[in-house]
Amino acid sequence: MMAALEFLRLQAPIVTLALLFGGAALALVIPHGRVSWTIGIVSALAALIASTQLSWAFIVSGDAMAAYGFLALDGAGAFAAPLVAVLAFLALLAEAPTLADRPERAQPYAIALHLAGAGAWIGALLARDLIGVVVCASAGWLAIAGLTALPAQRGAINGALRMTMAGGAGAAFMLLGAGMIGYATGSGDVSGATNALIGAPMTATLGFVFILAPLMLMAGAAPLHAWTGPAYGRSDAVLGLSIASVGAVAVIARLSAVAATAPAVAEGVSIALVCVGVASVLIGSVQAVGAVNVRRLVAYASAAQVGCILLAVALESPAGLAAALVQLVAFGAGAFALLAGMLASKDSTLAALDGMGRRAPIAGVAITIGALSFMGAPLTLGFLGRWRLIEAGVGAGWWWATGAAVITSLAAVFYGGRLIERLYFRRVTETSVFDADPWRFARVPVLAAAVLVIACGLSPGWLLDLAARAAALALGIGA
Amino acid sequence: MSAELALAALLGAPVAQALLVLALARPPGLRDLVHVLGSGTIALLAAYLVHQVGQGETARIVLANPLPNVQLAFVIEPLGTLAAAVVGGLGFLHAIHTSGMVRAIDQKAPARLMAFSALTTAGAMAVMFSANLFSFFVAYQALALAAFPLVAHVGDDESRASARLFLGTLLGASIALLLPAMIWTYTLAGALEFQPGGMLAGRVDQLSANILLALFVLGIAAAAAPPMHRWLTMSYTAPYPALVKVQALAVLPAGGIGLLKVFAYVFGSALLTAAPTTQILLGLCGVIMCAAAIIALSKTDIRERLAYSLWAQALAAIIGGLLAAPAGLFAAVLQIVATSCAATTLLMAVGTIAAVTGRRNVADYSGLGRVMPWTFAGFAIACASLIGMPPFSGAWAKLWLITASASTGVIWAAALVGFSAILTFAHLGPLAAHAFAGKAPTDAFKRPDGASILLVAPVILGAAATLGLLVLADPLASFLSPVWTPR
Repeated sequence: MMAALEFLRLQAPIVTLALLFGGAALALVIPHGRVSWTIGIVSALAALIASTQLSWAFIVSGDAMAAYGFLALDGAGAFAAPLVAVLAFLALLAEAPTLADRPERAQPYAIALHLAGAGAWIGALLARDLIGVVVCASAGWLAIAGLTALPAQRGAINGALRMTMAGGAGAAFMLLGAGMIGYATGSGDVSGATNALIGAPMTATLGFVFILAPLMLMAGAAPLHAWTGPAYGRSDAVLGLSIASVGAVAVIARLSAVAATAPAVAEGVSIALVCVGVASVLIGSVQAVGAVNVRRLVAYASAAQVGCILLAVALESPAGLAAALVQLVAFGAGAFALLAGMLASKDSTLAALDGMGRRAPIAGVAITIGALSFMGAPLTLGFLGRWRLIEAGVGAGWWWATGAAVITSLAAVFYGGRLIERLYFRRVTETSVFDADPWRFARVPVLAAAVLVIACGLSPGWLLDLAARAAALALGIGA
Repeated sequence: MSAELALAALLGAPVAQALLVLALARPPGLRDLVHVLGSGTIALLAAYLVHQVGQGETARIVLANPLPNVQLAFVIEPLGTLAAAVVGGLGFLHAIHTSGMVRAIDQKAPARLMAFSALTTAGAMAVMFSANLFSFFVAYQALALAAFPLVAHVGDDESRASARLFLGTLLGASIALLLPAMIWTYTLAGALEFQPGGMLAGRVDQLSANILLALFVLGIAAAAAPPMHRWLTMSYTAPYPALVKVQALAVLPAGGIGLLKVFAYVFGSALLTAAPTTQILLGLCGVIMCAAAIIALSKTDIRERLAYSLWAQALAAIIGGLLAAPAGLFAAVLQIVATSCAATTLLMAVGTIAAVTGRRNVADYSGLGRVMPWTFAGFAIACASLIGMPPFSGAWAKLWLITASASTGVIWAAALVGFSAILTFAHLGPLAAHAFAGKAPTDAFKRPDGASILLVAPVILGAAATLGLLVLADPLASFLSPVWTPR
């Protein structure tokens, strides 16, 4: 027994993927919603444990876990994999009531796509070669697009179609980029560019940009986020979309860390990240302030948050990458709290929030904490991420990065304040329809978990330490 | 009881009070009793801490370690403890008055009002006892969030707009200006801990000191330095009990004390290197202080008039701090204490008048002093204090302010303070005089039984408190001396 456990521990990366994809296959063949859901929950929980094990072993204990054929661990991937797994697990829990509303036939598909999507994004984080990254990211994207289309309503299908088209074009660019990097570095491995003397720096830089740009699109960064409005606004699989967003940002951090170690391409990649980061902060913030649909608001606010993460990644320093990883956790937790909280309402307009703080207090608390975290309010993870970004920016002489962080927070004060005001200072109206189905108990642990994740802002020493170690490993300078 | 325990209890008591008020919302008598007892406990704990600080005791509690070398911590030190005692003591009177008000005007959601009032006190106490800039920032944001429901309590479009402006200004300024200033300070000093003498002393060049000073003064919008003052003049839409809390007992005093903490513990002697920003801010605050007093003259709604009047008083406190001298700092502390006493009394009196007569237009006050002599006695004393008439507390604050301005060579600031006092007399003096000299109205009372003791007694006691500085000025100077004399 102990030997078997030790074997599984050593094989944690493969076990993580096997659990998610195996769970997806099993959920798909069982034509019963609740049984499929139970399988999904068990698989996701087991994958969460396995990915946490691999993360801990690689980042903290320093175990060499790199020899897995098509898989290879690095700091950013090992840090982000458990985050994607925990979001997948919590999303499955939170979406139980939504799932019950779907036709019986569609329920196993939803669970399978959910698990497959999370598995594919974790695969992209752990893949050894660039082609693996491209294939996994595209697969993850398609799975989430499929999930978005599942309600089979016109708006949702429109969003899924946009995702599919954008993903298809993005996959072509990513493949081209992988080929260019392979040509320039002489290696197809993700780590091929690490500290390499690159003979064709322009080709390699373009290759990185061709891979990173579609990933930014998938992350929902402005101005590449034309798909987010219809997808977030019309689909009920918004938690899946947030998983895709977190997964894509994590892959960007992973690849950018590699680019940062190659002097020939570092500057070009940094400029590309800065351009999109600044645009994303500005456009996302303005759109979020003007949004009247809460899910769209979250999509636009996420663009601003992603912009801040891209700026931190663009610093290409250990402090910058650590700040990006902390912000990634804050972004994932904040977006999850906001979107999971909104599941309590059948409607996603701002008016649907009126009086929700009294009628659905847990959802109200989750939305409030999510909004506060996006604002960067103290003692939330959002504040921690914002602080780290500004600190790293100032350390590198990028004073203007402070401006970007401040703009993101100021915009969040406006839209977050509006959300909080509607939750607690408006009377319930006819549009405020709150869910009362028998599966609603499933939200309690989920939203409590969201609160706890954000409450880590109170004592974040372990997270800061983990992020610093992961960043150092990702940049090849040891923990 | 140890000082640490008292400090922890003082920070926790308002939160417990809020929860209990919500849990025991019915019957109303029990709710009011809990509210008053909770406020009484806070006042006693604050007074105990003043005693402890006077004995040279120190206490520090750490709640969390959110960043490396940065703690969420609270300490007892003279400046914050004195302000907490004043706010706590007046808060007790205000709690009694609130109990009377919610009955007299049939206030909507009284338990919610009392609960957020208590939470606002918690935020203000946390600001006053903050041990470092980070804790101050956290407490300040908590204070803004707790006070927001008070401003929005009425729930109509006007109050919602005011509340949005309130939250947007306070949180927006703190994120856009205070947060960068805090991080900049951290990079310069390597720490955020408040220390007598100033953590930036000897560590900051002139340019950085100038920019940082502007960021801090504008970032702490609760102090109401122009142009970050709109929240104050717009907050008059709040119900009377909330108005007292926001303008006299929590937000405005906490902003003033916060700014003084920054002047004393962050800048210290580095404030001298922050010229010309200090001079520009002094000029701006001085001129606007007079302008605010003139604008107050044009306002016919007593709540609006008082809002502008209190803004002028708040600016006088900022002027004292900006003088960069111990005498100026002491004058600023006295000004905050005196304004808090007078403003609480005045706003409670105005609330009592509105509750029993339904009048809030200054023109309708004529002769009311004859039918409500006790309330208007308190009203007149508070007006005299705000004007700066001896022997009331405002006089000593103004005297110190003028002396400090003159001794630091800023004669024009002394002149502006004097001119502002004359303007304050112009917009408050005739009100009190007409109330007693005018003909008594025959239909004065909206309520047949007039004002209850719950509405009148706190006003009288508040007015009596404005005499406190007459005997306490010297002991206070000694009590506060560690603020500007590093041990």
